[in-house]
Amino acid sequence: MDSILIAMILALLIPIYEAWQDDNIWQKMLAFASIATKTSIMMLVISVLRDDWSIGVVAVIILSVGEAGLMLLAHLIKRLNEV
Amino acid sequence: MIDNYIYVIVALLPLSALILVSQTNPYNALVIRAILGAIAALVYSILGGADVALTEALVGTMLAVTLYVIAVRSSLVMRLGILSKNSDSTEDYFTELIANLRKVTQKYYLRLELVEYPDRELLKQALLKREVHGICERSELSNMDNNPIYQTTIRVHRLFEILQTEFTFPDTEISYITIPSSEDKHK
Repeated sequence: MDSILIAMILALLIPIYEAWQDDNIWQKMLAFASIATKTSIMMLVISVLRDDWSIGVVAVIILSVGEAGLMLLAHLIKRLNEV
Repeated sequence: MIDNYIYVIVALLPLSALILVSQTNPYNALVIRAILGAIAALVYSILGGADVALTEALVGTMLAVTLYVIAVRSSLVMRLGILSKNSDSTEDYFTELIANLRKVTQKYYLRLELVEYPDRELLKQALLKREVHGICERSELSNMDNNPIYQTTIRVHRLFEILQTEFTFPDTEISYITIPSSEDKHK
């Protein structure tokens, strides 16, 4: 089962590289959306592997909080150049 | 027993922290900070700190980054006072001047905010009252020539230094003015 997690970590490195290399702020936001979702899904996988439901509940909350944070940040950055 | 993948996941944390400290644009750095928060929440939860992970996601990723974007947006700004109605003959020159100025301020991640005033007297008053960081107006002396010469007066020394070295636009003069610090008037 460890190989699944290693594959997920390798997939997580792709948006990290993108966030590092691309200077466009919207590309960075896309990378953030990808990372926030992937880390929460990894937490869910680990909670199932360990049969630990307290991690699972926290993973679900972090998944929704990550999306909420992304939306707030996107709205603020969108309005940055107005006014 | 510690699984092997935990070492790899924990190694992501210093990696994203290094990416964060290598950023120069404040907004890009804040987005990377949100990424760091997401990875930190993952690390905390797999090491058994579910409550710490939840706090990191709520405070570190959402609240702190949102508040910092608002703070940076309202503080990293150059307010330039202009007259609300320019004479038609210099309109093109003026828009080009502002576009050039915007290019210089963007290099330093500053926003350029134009504040319009109805006449010269109010413009001068605004500069003296510290409502704006600088004013840009047509100088009265050069009205005879065909060439419009704009006079930009800056009251913040650092902004003056930046504009003096970076801003090279013909027929525009940049000067620095020291405004004596008045009593505890802090707007």
